[in-house]
Order: sequence, then structure tokens, then C-alpha cells
Amino acid sequence: MSSTEQGTSSAAPAEPTTAPESAAAPEVPESFYYVHGKDKVVHKVSAGALQHSALIHGMISNLGYTEEQAKANPFPFENIDGDILQMVVDWCNQHKGKPTPPEDTNLPKQKEKLFDLVLAVNYLEIKELLTYCCKQVAMMVKGKSPEEIREIWMIPTDAEDEAAEKEAKKRAGKEAAGETAAAAGDAK
Amino acid sequence: MKLSKFPYLVQKEILDNMKYSDLFLLSFVSKNIKKVIKLSQTTRFRNIDRIVFDMKNTEHPMISIVFGSSVYFIIISSTISEKLKNDYFQLNVSGKLINFEYVSWHCPALAFDPCDRESVFTSIYNYLLDFFGDTIEYEWITTDHRFFVPRVRNLSLILEFWTTGTDEEIMERFENIISLSPIMKHVKTSNWRPAGTINPESKYYQAESISICQNNLTIPINLGRFQGRQAFLRCRTCRISDLSEFLKRWKSGEGFQRLEYAKIIINHPDVPLNGILNEIGVNYIDATKTPPTHTLPKVYFEYDCQPNTDPIISQTYVVRETDNRVASISIQGKALSFGVWNETEEEFLAMVD
Repeated sequence: MSSTEQGTSSAAPAEPTTAPESAAAPEVPESFYYVHGKDKVVHKVSAGALQHSALIHGMISNLGYTEEQAKANPFPFENIDGDILQMVVDWCNQHKGKPTPPEDTNLPKQKEKLFDLVLAVNYLEIKELLTYCCKQVAMMVKGKSPEEIREIWMIPTDAEDEAAEKEAKKRAGKEAAGETAAAAGDAK
Repeated sequence: MKLSKFPYLVQKEILDNMKYSDLFLLSFVSKNIKKVIKLSQTTRFRNIDRIVFDMKNTEHPMISIVFGSSVYFIIISSTISEKLKNDYFQLNVSGKLINFEYVSWHCPALAFDPCDRESVFTSIYNYLLDFFGDTIEYEWITTDHRFFVPRVRNLSLILEFWTTGTDEEIMERFENIISLSPIMKHVKTSNWRPAGTINPESKYYQAESISICQNNLTIPINLGRFQGRQAFLRCRTCRISDLSEFLKRWKSGEGFQRLEYAKIIINHPDVPLNGILNEIGVNYIDATKTPPTHTLPKVYFEYDCQPNTDPIISQTYVVRETDNRVASISIQGKALSFGVWNETEEEFLAMVD
């Protein structure tokens, strides 16, 4: 398993040269956690950066892992592609402890990447990033005709929707019939 | 990217970030997506103050959404050019095929044949009513020039009279249009010149709000049988007896029961407005005390105009005999302002500091 150690340099607490007079208590060292996506590449992320994700924040808040325990137990997100998770981690690091700006222009421009990012961010419950992504998705169809919108967002026609609905009904009917037959067999 | 693969809440967030004009176009993509828009945007749509069909410019009507003082255009339009641009597209709007063109205005531009104007805009109205819902007010602003109001439910009419011509023609046209109109929210007559007086029983007086600017006594300052809530008059001449008749009729409860506000400006230099107060008999608040301020949201206000009536702070008031309700009266220069309170005299005086 390789490790990209993302965020290590930016997230590591700076070595204080002289302790400020008012800060008598020693600074608590920042804790780090580890996550990986489908590609198994492990990313080291500070707890501060992970606060953006309501899902991960909820998972780690009561763990009390030591550095070794955290390293040994990376959070697996098998449903998220490695490059997408990398984007998410980068975003969390960039915006750690900072107020989020009203717009984010660094989101992927390619449709499919943005689509995967939206799904990942929604799953990880990163509200601000989800809002940026949704704005970007909305912008894709700004000023487009209905046919262009259909193409961009791959929206089925009414006829396709009706056919899919019919198919789903048929399938559900077959499944129900199968279940009834199985139940009758069991009864015998 | 398949929009339908996103969970509903993500779809909602995407739609929340779309402009009304884009949502309008998106709604034509499929029945299912239209359902999703309507379901997810219920609260947003319900917060719309009104949808305005500004039909004053007969060649370029515009349709906009109004929230407070913000205006968002959803459709602009123009009469069909000899040659439609290559990139026009057709949409089936409430059963009628309508051409749209791309423009750089960031909202769809509808292209219509002037002969087809009525059916095009009636279809658009029906579509928007279904899409945005019937809890919103739909305003139709038109003039007597190429007058047309669709025969539909739920429409508030704003009518402006521009007509010029002989007195008989104008008055006949005026009465004709008024009689064809549904309930009128606001009627505006600008720089009106007809010398004949309008019939006191005219349906015109059923408008919620009227704004009059006239040179003659066409609409008398006693406001005939006005049954609406707000009246704004500016006239070059008037009979002062008409003005006192108006105030006396309100005071006695004989007329103007629904009136909330009136502002009458008489531009003639020799009309002694102050004398009117003694004639009708007014009450005064002690000069050392501060009277309450009367102001109301206007029934109708044009873009760039104040949404509320001018504040009235006056020591002078009258009391209606039938229900003891109070109206503040202020005379400043050539203007008489009249603001009716919901309070009785006792309640009104309790508001005086």
C-alpha cells in the first residue's frame, strides 16, 4: 500500500520559535487520520481538514485513536475513485479552518469527473463543496435549449421514461409471481 | 452525466441554483423532470410575489418574476423576423408550438407572429400558471393600444390609457375596454384630455387602484363611485366643491368604504386647499404631540417607483361617523394626502406620543 501523505506539510503544526506569553498551556498536537478510495492509495488528513465532512467527523469524533491506530485503520471509501478522493482531500486541506469563499473555480470542468465528485461529496456530507459542485452543474445548462440540456444531463425522453416504467412494472410483476410460487413450494 | 443518478436532495440543490428562465426551459425536456422541478421548488415558487406580463410594448412583450423590488426576466419576445435565425427551436407550450430564439439576454426570446399574439401569450400564461402554481399573482400590464387580455382565471389587470382622438371616440373606447376587462388591479390614465365627464357608474370605479393625470374634469375629483383602495390624482383644474364632497362622503360613510389612501395634487395656482379643512370640519391633535405616521404598500407600483405610499404625519384628522374610523389629512402646498387608519378615534389617539 502506497501513501501519498497528502496534507502532511500544510497540516503539520508549525514549530513555535518562542512561546507567546499568554499561551501558557502547550499546544495540543494535531491528530491525523487516514482514508483511501477504490485505488487503495492512502491519504493522510488532519482532523481539522476532515471536519468539513460530516460523515467522517461523526466517525472519528469518539474514536480517540493514537497515531499508530489511525495509520493501521484507514477509512475505506471503496465507492470513491482514487483521483476523486484526492480532489476531496485537497479541497478539505485548502479550506481547513478557513471560511469558505462564495465561489470555487477549481472544480473539474469535465462532466464525468464533476458527476463523480458530486456523488462522493454527497456521500461524505461535505456541505459547502456540494453547494459549489451543484452550482457548477447548474451552470452547465445555463442558456441552453431543452434539447441541449437533455444531451448534457442525459435526461430520457417521455417515451423512454414510459418504456422504462413499463419494464420496471413487468419486472416487479415477475418477481412477485416468483415469490408467490416459491412461497407455495415452501408450503408444500 | 445522468441527472437522474443523483439523489433527490442533490437534484434539488442543483435546481435551487438555476435561474427561473433556465428552469422554464428545463421543464420542457420531459414530464418527469417537470415534476421534479415543481416538487423540489415548491417553496421557492411560493415565495414569488408576482409574475408580470408586460404587454405595453406590443412588439416586445416581456415576462418577468418579481420578488420585492427584484425583477428577473424569464421570457423576452419580439415579433417574428422575416428570417428566423438558424438556431431557433420550437417548444410545445400548452399545446401550441412556439418559436424561441437564442439571444444574449440570458433568457429565452420568444418569436411570435403579430396575428398570433393572443394565442401565443395565452398559451404561455397557461403554461406558467401550471408550472409556477396558482398561489402567485399574475399581472397583465397592457394599454388601450392593441388591447388584449386573455380570457383566463387568476389575472390581475394593470391598464394604461394612452389613446388620443376626439372626445367621443376616446370615451367610447375607454368604456368599451373597461367593460371587456376582468377585475382591474390598477388603471392609469396619463395626460388625459377628454372634456366629457366619465359616467359615475362606470366599471372603471371598481379598480383596486387608480392613477389619474388629467387636464380637464374628465374624472371628477369627487372620485364618482370609486370602490377601490387607493387613488392618485394629479389635475390641472378641479372644482373645490368636488373635493369637499369627496371628503364629506367618506366622513359620512356614504362612499369609499374600502378607501385606504388618496393623494390629490392640483397644479392650478388658485385652488385654496386649506379652506377645505374648515368646510368639512376636522379634528386636531395637540401641536406639542407627535402624530403617528400613515403609510401603506401600494396596490401597484411601477419599476423604479416607491413601493409604499408617501408617509402622512399630520395633526389633522377626520372621523367616519358610521364606524368611528380615523383618516389623517395633510395639506402641503398643492397636495392633499388622505390616509385611512384601521383604528377607531380612541385607538388612534392612543398612538399619539
